[in-house]
Amino acid sequence: MTETLSAPAPLGSPPAHEVLLDVRDMKTHFKVLDGIVPAVDGVSFSLGRGQTLGIVGESGSGKSVTALTIMRLLDIPPAVIGAESEVWFDGREILHMPLDSMRRIRGKDMAMIFQEPLTSLNPVLSIGEQIGEQVRLHLKVSRHEARDRSIESLRSVGIPSPEARIKQFPHEMSGGMRQRVMIAMALSCEPKLLIADEPTTALDVTIQAQILELLKVIQQRTGSALLLITHDLGVVAEMVDHVVVMYAGQVVEQGTANEVMLEPKAPYTMGLLESIPTAEKRGGRLSVIKGVVPSPFHLPPACRFEPRCPYAWDLCHEVAPELYPVVGSGSGRRARCHLHQAAGESRRVAALELHADAMRVGRGLKEDPA
Amino acid sequence: MIKYIVRRTIQAIPVLFGITIVVYGILLAAPGGPTAKFAQNPRITQEMKEDFKRAWGLDQPVPVQYCRWMGFCSKEVDAKILGVLPAPAAFIGPKGWPNLLPTPLSGASNGVLHGDFGFSISTGELVNKAISRAALPTLILASSALVVWLVVAILIGVYAAIHRYSLFDQAATVFAYVGYAMPTFWLGIMLIFLFSGPGLNILPAGGMTETRVSPPFGSDDYWVYFGANTVAAILDIGKHLILPLFTLVVVSIAGDSRFVRASMLEALGQDYVRTAKAKGLPARTVTFKHALRNAMLPVVTNIGLELPLLFTGAIVTETIFSWPGMGRLTIQAINSFDYPVLMGILLIAATLTVFANLLADVAYAVVDPRITY
Ligand SMILES: Nc1ncnc2c1ncn2[C@@H]1O[C@H](COP(=O)(O)OP(=O)(O)OP(=O)(O)O)[C@@H](O)[C@H]1O
Ligand code: SF4
Ligand SMILES: [Mg+2]
Repeated sequence: MTETLSAPAPLGSPPAHEVLLDVRDMKTHFKVLDGIVPAVDGVSFSLGRGQTLGIVGESGSGKSVTALTIMRLLDIPPAVIGAESEVWFDGREILHMPLDSMRRIRGKDMAMIFQEPLTSLNPVLSIGEQIGEQVRLHLKVSRHEARDRSIESLRSVGIPSPEARIKQFPHEMSGGMRQRVMIAMALSCEPKLLIADEPTTALDVTIQAQILELLKVIQQRTGSALLLITHDLGVVAEMVDHVVVMYAGQVVEQGTANEVMLEPKAPYTMGLLESIPTAEKRGGRLSVIKGVVPSPFHLPPACRFEPRCPYAWDLCHEVAPELYPVVGSGSGRRARCHLHQAAGESRRVAALELHADAMRVGRGLKEDPA
Repeated sequence: MIKYIVRRTIQAIPVLFGITIVVYGILLAAPGGPTAKFAQNPRITQEMKEDFKRAWGLDQPVPVQYCRWMGFCSKEVDAKILGVLPAPAAFIGPKGWPNLLPTPLSGASNGVLHGDFGFSISTGELVNKAISRAALPTLILASSALVVWLVVAILIGVYAAIHRYSLFDQAATVFAYVGYAMPTFWLGIMLIFLFSGPGLNILPAGGMTETRVSPPFGSDDYWVYFGANTVAAILDIGKHLILPLFTLVVVSIAGDSRFVRASMLEALGQDYVRTAKAKGLPARTVTFKHALRNAMLPVVTNIGLELPLLFTGAIVTETIFSWPGMGRLTIQAINSFDYPVLMGILLIAATLTVFANLLADVAYAVVDPRITY
């Protein structure tokens, strides 16, 4: 780990062509006054061309930092990126490439939509200018053509009378409209990967559904890959093929959306699902995960979920669990929990039953209007 | 926009009117006065003093003096109400129209409203003439100071913000504290000592032109000389300009470079800057197109408020460096109780201040699309 910084770590080999994005052992730490925040601590996942992946987790689990690290948008320092971390995108390693090369990828092949639509647009530049400058930069087209393309991409995200809109400024638009502008901007150069970091969190509930629907339609139409970050498991079920669940800077579970939603294997994911208010569980007692997210400065010694885990036992306090393959599932199915290795065999069955009960309780109550 | 400017200009009229009253009041309340200089002179008799007062209209009650100075009242009509207020007849000009109307209508030409600030008590010269002679040197000093001030403050501030905590940033911080804390008069004297003293002696200690070569600045002879030796004359002024310019702008640069730095740092941390980076824009575009434009919004307002500093700062600077401008004229007028000159200068300074603020507001509206009028 503490090799000389002058010699860059030798890179691994590129992933297969079908893999668009391959994140390998990503470590992003922040050096702050109080110490080091391991915001992302050894995260790996991959995303195929044209596919969709969701990253789910509570606030502070490191979702945004993961996305910003991929985009190389963090200031270094305070951020420190692990020397052994790699991000392969479209056949190239991008985490350690010169920033100038990365700039040619950003906004063109890889675009991002942010959590805060209200502040993510420049208040003193017109919408047309903000989209147009990106188009001119990457596609090397004339001002006139850039304008036409801007109008076209505004139209494609369902903004009415785009010819008039390009002359407007962000403050003249609602939050939902601004997020549509952000999406139009991200799509303006037809990226291969679209990263959307909680694109609807800051919006009204009615607008949220519209924006998500729009993202889905656009993803299907353009065939770009989508990395959707959210803390809402309901959104995941609607939107993506694969899911990565994060807790305290680590991946704790991964699999297809169906697998993770219907048969969660990590206690953290189970807790998340039990706490979703569904139609079936209405009226029933909602369980929330007890306890709080651990402070990044005082992480539990072994399993980071141990203080809050209803199934924890001695081992969880002593040995950090790895991301074990889930017994009887495909290769992409993994969970970071001792329940999924030999030593947890017996407890696993009990835990899964307890979870199934928790999910059933609500359904039972619904049939019995007590 | 035009409507806004017109509206603001009209709003400025009552403000300026109020200022004339305040200025008048302050000078009245101040000890001394135009006759004070006679007090020490035994050869001036009481009678001569009365004559002097009568000749300058100082024997009149204050409201009458004020109305005549403003140009509301005619100087020819002596009638008063209760012996204090000007009679209605006094408000009628020679042509039978109100005296305050423009000269072609009213026939009156006295008072500020008709562009007449009276005569200098100490030299007998028209105040207009004294001020316009001093205006050009001040304009040269103030406008070059303004350019240097803005360019340098913005460059230092932006560079320090981009390279936060670098050696340059720390040096700029030290300069800002020292520059801000340094009294102007002391700085000026130190500069003269350094650059014009027996040691280096590379820059003139004062004045605006090399007196051995050129006629006094502003005189008719000077313009003949200027026409014949334009380049040499401009270089000569430039050489004399360096020290006063530096003295005048150091405080402003010190303060504003900090302000620009803070404002720029704030802008660089905003979400839209992250968006600009995410779009793949080169660092230059992100910094200057996206961050700087936003960072300049508060700076523009601040600079508008600071513009009058150029004028007040010039009072000290011009006096130290014998720069023949408005600042030095102000000090001369104060020393000789030359109230007509002083009033004229104060009124012009107030007007400039009001319009500097208007200019700042307009500039702000130009750079920020969120402002509506
Ligand atoms: N610039 C920074 N300096 C120091 N710590 C940071 C910085 N950015 C993020 N962190 C820390 O990293 C951790 C992960 O933050 P991140 O923003 O990725 O969370 P998140 O999963 O996106 O949460 P949310 O749902 O609230 O957006 C948090 O503990 C946060 O305090
Ligand atoms: S390893 Fe132990 S504490 Fe951690 S999630 Fe699994 S059971 Fe819970
Ligand atoms: Mg986030």
